[in-house]
Amino acid sequence: MAGKRAAMAGEAVTGGALARLWRRVRAAFRSVRVETRFLLALWRVNLLSALEYRTAFISQVVGMMLNNAAFLVFWALFFERFPSVGGWGMPDMLQLFGMTATGFGLGVVLFGNALNLADIIADNGLDAYLALPRPVLLHVLAGKSRLSGWGDIATGVLCFALTADPGAAAWGRYAVAALASMTVFVSFLVVVASLTFGIGGASALSAQAIHAMLAFATYPLTIFDGTAKLMLMTVIPAAFIGAVPAEFVRGYSDRSLLQILAAAGVSLALAVVLFHRGLRRYESGGMAVSAG
Amino acid sequence: MSVGAAVERRVGGSQVRRSAAKYAAVVRTQLAHGLAYPGDLIMRSLTILIFMWVFIHLWRSTYAATGQTSVRGLTLNNTLWYLVLAESITLSKPRVATAIAQAVRDGSVAYQLSKPYSFLGYQAAVTVGDALVRGAVTVLLGGALVAVMVGPPPSMLGWPPAFAAVIAGWLIDFCMATLIGLMAFVVEDVAAFEWIYSKLILVLGGVLLPLDFLPDGFRRVAEALPFAYTTWAPARLFVSPDPALFVRLFGIQLAWLAGLALLVAIVHRQCTARLAVNGG
Repeated sequence: MAGKRAAMAGEAVTGGALARLWRRVRAAFRSVRVETRFLLALWRVNLLSALEYRTAFISQVVGMMLNNAAFLVFWALFFERFPSVGGWGMPDMLQLFGMTATGFGLGVVLFGNALNLADIIADNGLDAYLALPRPVLLHVLAGKSRLSGWGDIATGVLCFALTADPGAAAWGRYAVAALASMTVFVSFLVVVASLTFGIGGASALSAQAIHAMLAFATYPLTIFDGTAKLMLMTVIPAAFIGAVPAEFVRGYSDRSLLQILAAAGVSLALAVVLFHRGLRRYESGGMAVSAG
Repeated sequence: MSVGAAVERRVGGSQVRRSAAKYAAVVRTQLAHGLAYPGDLIMRSLTILIFMWVFIHLWRSTYAATGQTSVRGLTLNNTLWYLVLAESITLSKPRVATAIAQAVRDGSVAYQLSKPYSFLGYQAAVTVGDALVRGAVTVLLGGALVAVMVGPPPSMLGWPPAFAAVIAGWLIDFCMATLIGLMAFVVEDVAAFEWIYSKLILVLGGVLLPLDFLPDGFRRVAEALPFAYTTWAPARLFVSPDPALFVRLFGIQLAWLAGLALLVAIVHRQCTARLAVNGG
């Protein structure tokens, strides 16, 4: 009798825990749905405000495409003299450059404040976001869109269209790789900017980090030796913005898919944890006026 | 010779000296200003380490792939020291066009025109002063990395001519950037022109790739344009300290500088004639 009662109590406890877990899962899904709707609304507003000044929008897009073209001219001239470097030729460079441009472009169009997050933190700019009932990191990152990023996205798509095998599967791989590349890029910027919470002004460091990331991501991974490669996959994860996603786009493999997804997941988790830990140390400067 | 002519020449000579001393003082002020925050200066100059680190790996692979020790007369060591100087020249120059265009747009150009110095002379002195401080730190950082990873710099005999060519290069760049900045008198935003100019310098100036490596036709076109004499000429002289080459390249630099300075003076005179200053 006593055993039966204990079993019934156990079942009740298990049932209660399951119910609690189910409630948590449902709340998490609801939260994701609400924040996704909020994010989509922000992106829509950013796009509409960009289209309001159509000439400026077009000039920035065309300007950035020409900017990227200057680098592609450099590589075309380079490969004219030296046909192969580390086993790479011009088509490989187009794919690498295209992938980096797409990841970077998506990052600055959708999360434009990532580039100046360190300045926002240092200038007490988070005050405006802290007062609002939305996730601070998501809100601050998506609060701005950089028009020139559309030029990078267009360059990336053009490079991909010129070099890749046609077909829905290739475009699908390209989309997955671009999203992973963007996630790593934005997360890296958040991690670097989060240092501002601890050491004060990290703006110069953040600027150098962006330079480093873009410089390393637009060169073939094969030119670097073992230690350098390890660094480009960990400390400055440039390999996961350009070379590794580009390899996945060239041909599907479970290994490269796992690599880009793991890199995106780990960097995103690191960015969220470090930002929120830093946010606990943040002291208000009384700037809660407007968010944008 | 009349006494009057001698006095006139002496007065003229002392005016030139006074004028030179004035702009030298501006250069010194900018040097002191640049050195006032050494930490900030070093932090802003660290970009060269990133670029040179990538270039060292790129060019090591490239030379290894060709199986040659010298390509178009440049060894691996030459190419990397060329890039140290070329990148330093580019990274250290201030954004002259933006500064002048801003002064035109916000009206502060009127305030500067009333000062007892030439507006253009002052801007040129500021450019050289700023670029000297940052250029020195950038070359030291980039040079240290290349010296450790690749090898020692070229012969010290080539340093003084290269230094003269660097100053001439900055002044040629200053003239072209000033022409872009002065366009603010006509168009509201000069950012697009400045941007196109920076890309021309990148490719035709030899910032990313020595012009020697370009296809012959392309190289000839690049060498006929002024962009090459802002960056390629000084960096090439640095790694090839040859008196004949110095005479040829420095001579072309001076010719471009004279032509562009004349053009800048004419455009500046026409632009300031359009300037209307209201209030005080």
